[in-house]
Amino acid sequence: MNSQQKEWNLDFQAAAKRSLKERMRYSFIKTYKPVLDDVPYRSFDTMAEYRKWCEQNLPNWLGYGRSL
Amino acid sequence: MAAPFSYEQAQRIAEVFSKYSVRYLFIGKSGAIILGFPDTTQDADLFVKKSTENGQAIVSALLDLGFPITNAQQKEIERGKDFVQLRSGPFDLDLIFAPDGIETFEGAESRSLKVQGLPVCHIDDIIQSKEATNRVKDRESLPRLKAFREWWLINH
Repeated sequence: MNSQQKEWNLDFQAAAKRSLKERMRYSFIKTYKPVLDDVPYRSFDTMAEYRKWCEQNLPNWLGYGRSL
Repeated sequence: MAAPFSYEQAQRIAEVFSKYSVRYLFIGKSGAIILGFPDTTQDADLFVKKSTENGQAIVSALLDLGFPITNAQQKEIERGKDFVQLRSGPFDLDLIFAPDGIETFEGAESRSLKVQGLPVCHIDDIIQSKEATNRVKDRESLPRLKAFREWWLINH
């Protein structure tokens, strides 16, 4: 096990000691995501259509595309 | 903009979705977090069974939860789109009817588990779906998520 994995395992062990409520409070955050958060509802017939829309419309730095 | 998704809202989903017999599973990073993965995310992702009956149940449940969905949107959800993104309700919610990398809802449901009443995809399905999706943000989180899988399998 390398040092990175050891560090992660310590994180996992620490998280396991917290309640689900506490874990969720630490884990769910909210920041504005341009374009994505700009309409109240969006739907796609296929996941391929959704992925294509993400690639074409979202800023690359959001990470929703397959390449930066 | 909605406040961050909370434990209380997750429990409310479980309560209301159960009331309408919605078949669903938490998936994605939100599912992994419920399993114990320490990381951050913004949305709750639900893998929902694609059927007219389940679509109708989802619409009833969303209205009960306070999502202001229009008649046209209700019909779309009932018909079963592959992906629906809701940003107008009490919290942000993504409904995924056909996640990449998972063949059937029934298969995922048979492998799922419950954490304090919340139905969650198995960690292997969460990883498989992220691998198949192959977005930049998924590739960044996968090494740590796979390490969590190894830890989780030993400790559960």
